[in-house]
Amino acid sequence: MEFDNIGKPLTSFQEHYPDTIPDLFASENDHMPSQSFSTSPSKTRDFYVSFRREAISLIFQAQFSCNFDPFVSYLAVNYMDRFVSKQEITQEKPWLSKLLVVASISLAAKMSNSPFSLSHIQGEEGFNFDAQTVHKMEVLILDTLSWRMRSITPFSFLCFFVSLFELNDPTLTQALKDRASETIYSAHNEMKFLEFKPSIIAASAILSASHELFPLQFSSFKASISDCQYVDTESLLKCLNLMQEMVMMQGYESILETVSSSRTPMSVLDRHFMMTNSESDNTCSNTTTTTTTDAIAVAEKRQIKRRKLSDFCSKSGFQISQSNQW
Amino acid sequence: MDNYEKLEKVGEGTYGKVYKAKDRSTGQLVALKKTKLEMDEEGVPPTALREVSLLQMLSQSLYVVRLLCVEHADKRNNTDGKPKPVLYLVFEYLDTDLKKYIDSHRKGPNPRPLSHTLIRSFLYQLCKGVAHCHSHGVLHRDLKPQNLLLDKDRGILKIADLGLGRAFTVPMKSYTHEIVTLWYRAPEVLLGSTHYSTGVDMWSVGCIFAEMVRRQALFPGDSEFQQLLHIFRLLGTPTEKQWPGVTSLRDWHVYPQWEPQNLARAVPSLGPDGVDLLSKMLKYDPAERISAKAALDHPYFDSLDKSQF
Ligand SMILES: Nc1ncnc2c1ncn2[C@@H]1O[C@H](COP(=O)(O)OP(=O)(O)O)[C@@H](O)[C@H]1O
Ligand SMILES: [Mg+2]
Repeated sequence: MEFDNIGKPLTSFQEHYPDTIPDLFASENDHMPSQSFSTSPSKTRDFYVSFRREAISLIFQAQFSCNFDPFVSYLAVNYMDRFVSKQEITQEKPWLSKLLVVASISLAAKMSNSPFSLSHIQGEEGFNFDAQTVHKMEVLILDTLSWRMRSITPFSFLCFFVSLFELNDPTLTQALKDRASETIYSAHNEMKFLEFKPSIIAASAILSASHELFPLQFSSFKASISDCQYVDTESLLKCLNLMQEMVMMQGYESILETVSSSRTPMSVLDRHFMMTNSESDNTCSNTTTTTTTDAIAVAEKRQIKRRKLSDFCSKSGFQISQSNQW
Repeated sequence: MDNYEKLEKVGEGTYGKVYKAKDRSTGQLVALKKTKLEMDEEGVPPTALREVSLLQMLSQSLYVVRLLCVEHADKRNNTDGKPKPVLYLVFEYLDTDLKKYIDSHRKGPNPRPLSHTLIRSFLYQLCKGVAHCHSHGVLHRDLKPQNLLLDKDRGILKIADLGLGRAFTVPMKSYTHEIVTLWYRAPEVLLGSTHYSTGVDMWSVGCIFAEMVRRQALFPGDSEFQQLLHIFRLLGTPTEKQWPGVTSLRDWHVYPQWEPQNLARAVPSLGPDGVDLLSKMLKYDPAERISAKAALDHPYFDSLDKSQF
């Protein structure tokens, strides 16, 4: 019944049909963790901070071993966050949270038509669920999320926001979208962005990217986005600040790494993983090693991308501005 | 499924019965539709997952029947006795469908035409719903009066039966062996075109429009060939000039050369604006057929109070 390729049902990722923009803004709240989440008792929240970090690293592992598009991981994390904000998971049942991760990945893979088998992510981590258990969990997630599995994500809004800038050059538009996408992926790994609506994340990522790529146009871009009827300016500014902080830290860290060691530079996120893994008790040292190696792989990938981007920018006569205004 | 009290059968669907039921806890009336979506070794089948979530997304519109939730019940498998989960879709309940409604105006104790105000309003809501589906990249492909549900008292029309078309191929016969109707099928589909698009739905909308006015089907064919002849006899046999590429379609044959008839005569009570809109919905060349979105701005709807929608 779809006339675009159902193999890519997540049109939300790249293009959205322009007529659906008001619908998107109207229903984005149904696709984010419920508000109760950010106001939940700090104990629950603390637990989730560490749980989420582990879950994300597990999801990354699956992404690498199954060669998933990063969007599959994005979706899996989105399902997980939404589920946890509606159904309590607790420390008492560690297996339940692992099960949640496995089932979220499985659902995300099915939604994006990516081949995936449970054996890819099981085993190594010292837990194994039979297929039936995972499927029961899938159904529980589906019910909890009311089968709203075509998540509205920040990616759904990128084209719309970029169109506000009236850039005439498609390569510039693409560069902006690519950098904004990278920023969205990084932000998704950090809890502090969970409170923002997908559209606000998208708008902030576009602005942050434009600040890096076209610093001179930044303020006019910011004005056009703030003028948009659907955007709450206060929330936008708050999110944008956090995001520029994150991007600056990443840039700073990678420069520091390059200078201070001959090793592959790593971004904040990756260091974050390493730190937390060494901080946490060493009962699962195996996990630590795998995660770290994978984190380095992520970092390498990201560096390559960044290099490409800066190549592109210097070729087209644009400068990446690493300095940030505060 | 114990949450629901089945009240009566309201429809024989393609895959099973549709029941009117009552939610025991809230008293809300719902329609229960059993699907063929059975869980298998892989859990929820990916196609089902994508289709149901698509339906969930589309049913956010006022003009699409609302999917309230998805229930699963364990059905015992007759062969090995193992329970097999079956999915049920739970929809909001509406009193009737457009076919039953038109029938009640044709036969029964008080036969009378549908009022033109009502036809206009139903057609507008139908175009709204179709525009909504198309704007999300979704074709309905089986628009017909049976699949349009009505709330008679409030004069509301909603699109139903967004076919879960990929989860199963549309069969030629329903489970009751009733032939799937061809009356609303676009000529490009009948002629075997594989690359059809939004125009197929607009053709069906045109046929439904005419049927509301006439109280009987515009093209009641009983085979694919007869269906084409019905169309050609009214609209004339299509030519390459009118519809470039038509004679190279897979199932094209040499047909008798009919001249186009006056369309207004097929819908005698319809005014010139209505006839104009209808003729734009029934254009042979799918590329020339009016889109749902453009139809909403047609002068035929000028006299409609659009603020109510
Ligand atoms: N939500 C509903 N409220 C009332 N009647 C309904 C509802 N859904 C379906 N029906 C009735 O059941 C019939 C079959 O339902 P439909 O969804 O079209 O299934 P199928 O795919 O089997 O054709 C419809 O023509 C209509 O008469
Ligand atoms: Mg039907």
